[in-house]
Amino acid sequence: MTEQPRNDLERRLIAAGRAFSYPSTPDIARAVTRRLGAHPARRPVRSPARRLAWALVVVIVLLAGLLAVPPVRAQILEFLQIGVIRIFLTQPTPTATFPPASTPEPVVIASPGKSKISLTPVSTETEITPSATSRPSPTPLASLLDLTGEITLAKALDSASFPIQLPAYPPDLGLPDHVFLQDMQGQVLVLVWLDPADPTRIRLSLHQYVGKDNITGHKFSPPVVQETSVNGRPAVWAEGPYLLELTNGDYEFVRLIEGHVLIWTQDDITYRLESDLPLAEALRIAESLQPLPIPTP
Amino acid sequence: MNEAKLIDRARQGDGTAWETLVQAHQEAAYRLAYLLLGDTTQAEDVAQEAFMRAYQALQRFDTARPFRPWLLSIAANLARNQRRAFGRYLTALRRLVQAEVSHVESVEGRAAQSWEAQTLWQAVRQLDFADQQVIYYRFFLDLPVEETAQAMNVAEGTVKSRLHRAMNRLRTVIKQHYPSLQEGREA
Repeated sequence: MTEQPRNDLERRLIAAGRAFSYPSTPDIARAVTRRLGAHPARRPVRSPARRLAWALVVVIVLLAGLLAVPPVRAQILEFLQIGVIRIFLTQPTPTATFPPASTPEPVVIASPGKSKISLTPVSTETEITPSATSRPSPTPLASLLDLTGEITLAKALDSASFPIQLPAYPPDLGLPDHVFLQDMQGQVLVLVWLDPADPTRIRLSLHQYVGKDNITGHKFSPPVVQETSVNGRPAVWAEGPYLLELTNGDYEFVRLIEGHVLIWTQDDITYRLESDLPLAEALRIAESLQPLPIPTP
Repeated sequence: MNEAKLIDRARQGDGTAWETLVQAHQEAAYRLAYLLLGDTTQAEDVAQEAFMRAYQALQRFDTARPFRPWLLSIAANLARNQRRAFGRYLTALRRLVQAEVSHVESVEGRAAQSWEAQTLWQAVRQLDFADQQVIYYRFFLDLPVEETAQAMNVAEGTVKSRLHRAMNRLRTVIKQHYPSLQEGREA
């Protein structure tokens, strides 16, 4: 088969491919052999050093000019399980000193009548990121709209394996501006309402998860983590800003959570509401969920 | 020893045979992942995981076919998942570090790398995943049409039509965002 380049751009691309300065290829064979020798893993193994480097990139970006960020290691001190979401709270054990008042310690609050969160050492190889001290603000729109799986609400109704619930409060909320439906070994529905005063910002987002497999979230030093309840069921309230790393099977992402997050369950569905609203308002929204009416054909 | 024999031996648990296969193809897998992700750490993770997945599926692999396209298709799928997973985070982060990245590229990149190769790569990165894939296979990794078709699991004719569309889109990107690449060189 003749495969001659037909035009200048193709020739230039071929030349670019040959002139391209690739980073040197690491010794993948050795790493693969080691992994096979130990135990076949399903997820890429990222060494603690590289994980630490990754976190530090974020730290540097967030706190550039404000903090001199030293390498730190962390210990996971505890976890919370709400529905399919398992939350590990990571507390820093810094090896160098941060400026005072720049790294608030996590505050874990047990609500009256609630059992205290159990301390469960899980790992000692997780990087930490100190939380920023800026005031929470609505989540940047771009950070959510890069999600895959955007569909219409009507199609979501057809495709979702569970009844979609929408908040009836606040009364002016209306229907979501963006709807995403993803498969993360179970369906994840993400509803996004934009800030009417600034449509480039998100007013609130509501995630609805179903599935048997846990979604593991590492919250890095949220300023406040609080147990609460929604419709009498256990819930968790975390105030931003903090870094969140979510993992589930093949999926993994790290994200800066700038707002506050309420997580609760209802009828085998795990809900996650993110906004810049205070706890009382978030609870009111959570308890206002109502099934979306099925449209008549 | 030819590739089919190495695969047979690897299937029987011969670690040395598998390591030889990995060494033969690790550069292609890593480079493809790097082109698609633009990040060395993620590229290494994806390349490593691609070999792990390939090993786990080795019993099902048809040794009458070449190993490289199959491996690259696994790596490309993993890279696509990685892009999706990190997309939200990276979008936010990219905006924050844009100035820093530009600075790094201006200091380190231009000195060591071909400006045109890097700039063309940046232009290709503006395309969607499938367009990038076919361009990387054909021009950056120099895969023949037959292997490109196998890696993308499409017919050879489809490779050509996809490549044609991808090139047209690339021309549009260059015209709109990389005028310095034009300068009368591309009709």
